[in-house]
Amino acid sequence: SAENRAAARAQPRSGPAPVTDVAKLCVCDLLVAQCDVNCCCDPDCSAADFSLFTTCSVPVVTGDSRLCSQKAATYSLDVEANPPERIFKLIDHVNPSVFCIHTTNYKQALSFSSPEMPTAENFDQLLKQFGSSSFSAEPDSWNTDTDAQNLSDVNETYRYEYGVPIQTVDAFLRLPSPVVSSWCSDANPAGFLVNQATKCIRSVSVEKCGNIQAVSMLFYTNSSILAVNITVQSIVVQSLNGMRTLLNGSDVLRLPMILDELCINIVLGVSYHITYTDAGEIIEAAASFVLGAINKEALSIQQSFEISFTQVNTKPVPLSGNPGYVVGLPVRAGFRPQGYPFPVEILLAALILNTNKYSQLTILQSTSNQDCLAAQGARTPILFGYNMISGCKLRITAAMKCQPLTQTLLDLLKGQSFPEYVASFGNSQAQDVLDWVPITHLHTSEQRIYNTFQSSCQIPVSLEIEVKWTKYGSLVNPQARIVNVTATITTTTLKQLPSGRERTIPITSSVVFTDISSPAEPGYKAWPTINVKLPFDFFFPFV
Amino acid sequence: LSSVPLQILFYVNGIYYIFYFLATLAMIVYKSQVFSYPDDFLGPDLTLLLIMAILEALRLHLGSKGNLTEEEAPLGLSLVITVSSVLLSVYFLVWQTYVLKADVIINAVLLFTYGLESVLKVIAIAAFVS
Repeated sequence: SAENRAAARAQPRSGPAPVTDVAKLCVCDLLVAQCDVNCCCDPDCSAADFSLFTTCSVPVVTGDSRLCSQKAATYSLDVEANPPERIFKLIDHVNPSVFCIHTTNYKQALSFSSPEMPTAENFDQLLKQFGSSSFSAEPDSWNTDTDAQNLSDVNETYRYEYGVPIQTVDAFLRLPSPVVSSWCSDANPAGFLVNQATKCIRSVSVEKCGNIQAVSMLFYTNSSILAVNITVQSIVVQSLNGMRTLLNGSDVLRLPMILDELCINIVLGVSYHITYTDAGEIIEAAASFVLGAINKEALSIQQSFEISFTQVNTKPVPLSGNPGYVVGLPVRAGFRPQGYPFPVEILLAALILNTNKYSQLTILQSTSNQDCLAAQGARTPILFGYNMISGCKLRITAAMKCQPLTQTLLDLLKGQSFPEYVASFGNSQAQDVLDWVPITHLHTSEQRIYNTFQSSCQIPVSLEIEVKWTKYGSLVNPQARIVNVTATITTTTLKQLPSGRERTIPITSSVVFTDISSPAEPGYKAWPTINVKLPFDFFFPFV
Repeated sequence: LSSVPLQILFYVNGIYYIFYFLATLAMIVYKSQVFSYPDDFLGPDLTLLLIMAILEALRLHLGSKGNLTEEEAPLGLSLVITVSSVLLSVYFLVWQTYVLKADVIINAVLLFTYGLESVLKVIAIAAFVS
């Protein structure tokens, strides 16, 4: 079967098979997995939806009208009935003209031909045929072998684009979500690369324990995403009083059943984790469940659903924007691992990212107790666009030595692991080293007059991080991009105190975001100049 | 004696065939404009129509001559050519690229005429031989 797959991949892929059955063709079905208004042929509409329509936008679906006799699907609304219902009839449509087409022996006569999909093998031939400024509408060789390829399409991997609903074998992967009210609607398809988290309420009762499909694990795992089965990653059982325990073996499918007047194994939450490649194919799908129990008094439960996408061979890192930074999301930072940048293939990420948000770019957090040394290392992450200033008061006694104090203050200001690089875009990947901006460190001294004779002790008293960002991209939708990050440490001289005396100095740290985007300048056309050149012998015979 | 019905039929057939030829040609032109009619399919259809016209002229001439001179050889040859004319008519009835309802009608009439002619020719040959 490896050879079959390789052979199937070598075949030129064709587009979707043409629909020729009039009963299945619907031109007004535009919304995927949702009911279109006034579209009587939409298969996603239920009888309740039809009763709300006023008219049928597509009353008749036929093939080519020039055929002498053909099947036609007619849709109409019976407004007399209460509630109004849709009438679907398959009738034989007869063309009375004497020039109607009785039969045709030419297969592609009455339908558009499926174009050939370019592959490595036929690209040159297709370019020769269609690459010029005009080409004949009927090429010499028709590809009449389209039927054989359609069967193998189902098993091939399907490439997705952002936002496209994820296809399963029969329909789409659905993420129940509240639509108009808080009640769950099962018609919300999950879009590729669209991370969603929804919560909605579903009505349940102990009597209908095994009958409600949407509270059973089977409902969420039985649809496979084309070639990929949905595996159960973990099961957490939540008891009636809210305590959650993680189950050890997550292979067994636990279905709702009645136990001691309770209905157990009811799905309270599903979290899908989809792994994709950078070509847009889904290679793995896992679901984590939270199962709970309801008692006789319960009439409804709240279900929460989540879906997240991870690229294969990368660790999931929360993005701070796509691509520009979003105001309020943390600034992403990282380190360069030891030994880089030797020019070898980089198998691991070029930059080690910190997924722990407290090891990110952070600044000191002011506490109610303003003593620096008792601050306990509380730090807050730097959020893009939010200028922050924080600080504490340092009590200096005579007994304090210079060097340990300097080190303590540096740790306090910079934190345990101050990063070396900051991501210039909110979605910069660790593999793209050029997307990361190095942090420039500056040192300034508070004293204006530099007295070099004193063997002075310089202690850092302030850290100012200046983040310069610019607007990048189109004028209509500019993206924020960090261009430069400078961390300035200001030091001051620690004067030796006489014993018994104390001194309090303020320690500050601040973050400033500066917009250095140059404004868009209007461009004017140059003034027209008169280019006059007199002929060579204009002033003949004087010159 | 020459068969009078056969001669009448030859005369009517001749006039009808002129109409048939012009109608089929006009419809092929119409089809090539209105539908997608690539050259691969248009060529054979036009060629066969031309061949059919030539065969028809030959057939009618031989049949008429054989009937009037009461000789069975031209009539027999005409009968043989009728077989190929029938095949060509069936082609235009069933295996053409686009078969319109008008095509069906005129070809059916032509086939009926051929059938009647063939019967009368056989009777005439039998009469001439004996």
